[in-house]
Amino acid sequence: MTSLRSYSNDFTKMVFVFAFLATVPLWISSVGLYDYIAIEIIIWCIYAMGYNLALGYTGLPSFGHGAFFGIGAYAMAMYQVHEGGTSLWVGLLLSILAGAGAGGLSALFMSHRRGIYFALMTIAFGQVFWFVAIKKREYTNGEDGLLNLERLPVDFGIFSLDVSSNQSMYFLGLAFFMLVVLGLWTLIHSPFGYIIQSLKQNETRTWFLGYNVHLFKWISFTLSTAISGLAGGLFALTQRSAFPDVMSLHWSGIIVMMTIVGGGLVSFWGPVLGVMFYFIMRDFLGTYTSTWILWFGVSFMAVILFEPHGIAGLWMKISQRIFKMSPGHRLLPPERTLVPTPEPSNELV
Amino acid sequence: MTFEELVPHLLNGLSIGLLFALIALGFTLIVGVMEVINLAHGSLFALGAYLALAVYGYLEVSEFGFPTRSQYATALIVAPLGVAAVGMGIELGLRRTYGKDPLYGLLFTFGAALVLEEAIRQRWGPTERLLRAPADVSGFIELGDIFYFKYRIFASAFAVVLILLLWVLIEKTQLGAIIKAGAHDSEMVRALGINLPVLRMFVFGLGTALAGIAGIIMAPIWGVRPHMGVDAVIPAFLIVTIGGIGSFWGSVISGIMVGLTVGMVSAYATEWSILSIYILLIVVIFFRQRGLFGKASGLDK
Repeated sequence: MTSLRSYSNDFTKMVFVFAFLATVPLWISSVGLYDYIAIEIIIWCIYAMGYNLALGYTGLPSFGHGAFFGIGAYAMAMYQVHEGGTSLWVGLLLSILAGAGAGGLSALFMSHRRGIYFALMTIAFGQVFWFVAIKKREYTNGEDGLLNLERLPVDFGIFSLDVSSNQSMYFLGLAFFMLVVLGLWTLIHSPFGYIIQSLKQNETRTWFLGYNVHLFKWISFTLSTAISGLAGGLFALTQRSAFPDVMSLHWSGIIVMMTIVGGGLVSFWGPVLGVMFYFIMRDFLGTYTSTWILWFGVSFMAVILFEPHGIAGLWMKISQRIFKMSPGHRLLPPERTLVPTPEPSNELV
Repeated sequence: MTFEELVPHLLNGLSIGLLFALIALGFTLIVGVMEVINLAHGSLFALGAYLALAVYGYLEVSEFGFPTRSQYATALIVAPLGVAAVGMGIELGLRRTYGKDPLYGLLFTFGAALVLEEAIRQRWGPTERLLRAPADVSGFIELGDIFYFKYRIFASAFAVVLILLLWVLIEKTQLGAIIKAGAHDSEMVRALGINLPVLRMFVFGLGTALAGIAGIIMAPIWGVRPHMGVDAVIPAFLIVTIGGIGSFWGSVISGIMVGLTVGMVSAYATEWSILSIYILLIVVIFFRQRGLFGKASGLDK
């Protein structure tokens, strides 16, 4: 498991990832991709990292996270359109609070539920928010969405940076990505992080150890939706609009697929790999065939069947073979520990 | 709103609710025996309607004409068989996930749903199509003071008959006993010499065929469009969850309950009728963890 590996190893990797991402605008157009996809990738990375706090680290299978991403986007859009707001910080703060508020409210109902029932509840809540976004036209402008948003300048008081170009927007996204990653990394290696990972392994046992598992599930889910809200706010800025599409079950499912394909279940960086895989595949396959989503679906099914730990899991297996890790150094947890077993089984006896 | 005005809304709700219950029963059958949440159920529902369209095309039913009874019956038999075949194909893949975390089955079928929906869109296009029932069951019927759709009455009756047949199959036949036993303790069933993989495949085929039939019956009410799968499967999940996963009558009762709620809400605020199901679910699950009639597992509990 990630948490069992040495800190320094993780930290080197983090520096490497940040450095790699910082150079992306320099070479991306020369490999046949365009600037805009880099922003999409970085924002969806924020979203997926936040999502993986719930799925990968706490074992909460949410199929309604798109709603919180969308709510974050709407918060930014409504702040600009209805309130005439011009401060980036206020807008993003509202996005975070809106995501966390909606997520925290839903989690109040869901934190006592486990496994499949939890998953079905997240679908229900996601659909409720999606539905409200479509139907409350006076606030959200229905299916058309709120358009013509401004990319607000990054104002530091003494100087302010313009992010209207795609490159500068990418660096704004990257800055937030780094903040989120550092925050999540600290959180996961804190006592709180170990408690949520243990309740992922076995909720009942964690409960018997004296932790209020419902509270921890609630906190983890709400934090995760707050990050989704932030990503949503940035997404609204990027495409200068907010619309209900990203809140649908389809898109909520896509983020689950990205996280799992990348290997979020076994790796801290899994979601990043998954997001890159998705967008790059969309771009390359999209130029050859209009049915690329079909092939993405097929490859997702193959991943579930043959390598449920995704790209990261595959990489771990390969590197284990190449570098001949010591036998005691087990990288992959057994497959059964994805979510807590729904019934307290007789292993408690 | 007077009672006379409310009646059609309630009847609408009832007919939709019964069809939802049919989808939910197929779903709950699969959950009972394989402990797999089949997220592809909705896409198979849509596939049923599209395969019926394909059968119509083969039988040369013109786009806006009514099919004859025998043409309709052919579609009603052939299309669900096609759906069952696809469902059994999915089950073949699912076998690798048995015994692992149930989330893997859920994710696998989610992928299958995405693939099926996209395949439907590629094959038949994104536009809405029309699938008609024979002229005998179209038009209006006089019920006391009100005129009502003949077809919806036919659809309700059809659903009731199928639900009863399914009940007889599960409760009164030896096969049903094996299915129930398989849901209760699959290892013991295997130890008694029953071919469990075949049983599972049969149950998966049966469950998905029910979804396919529901799709064909629903098509004249809703129209045939790629998105109809999602529109149907989400209420069906909610019904299963409200009724209690694995409970036969729980699904039927909550199907009717959800249908009536939707019908009633749509009488006053059409826009919000779908939302009322979610509210119902959230309320029920908040108070009862396993839904109204849900117990640990098994088909009849």
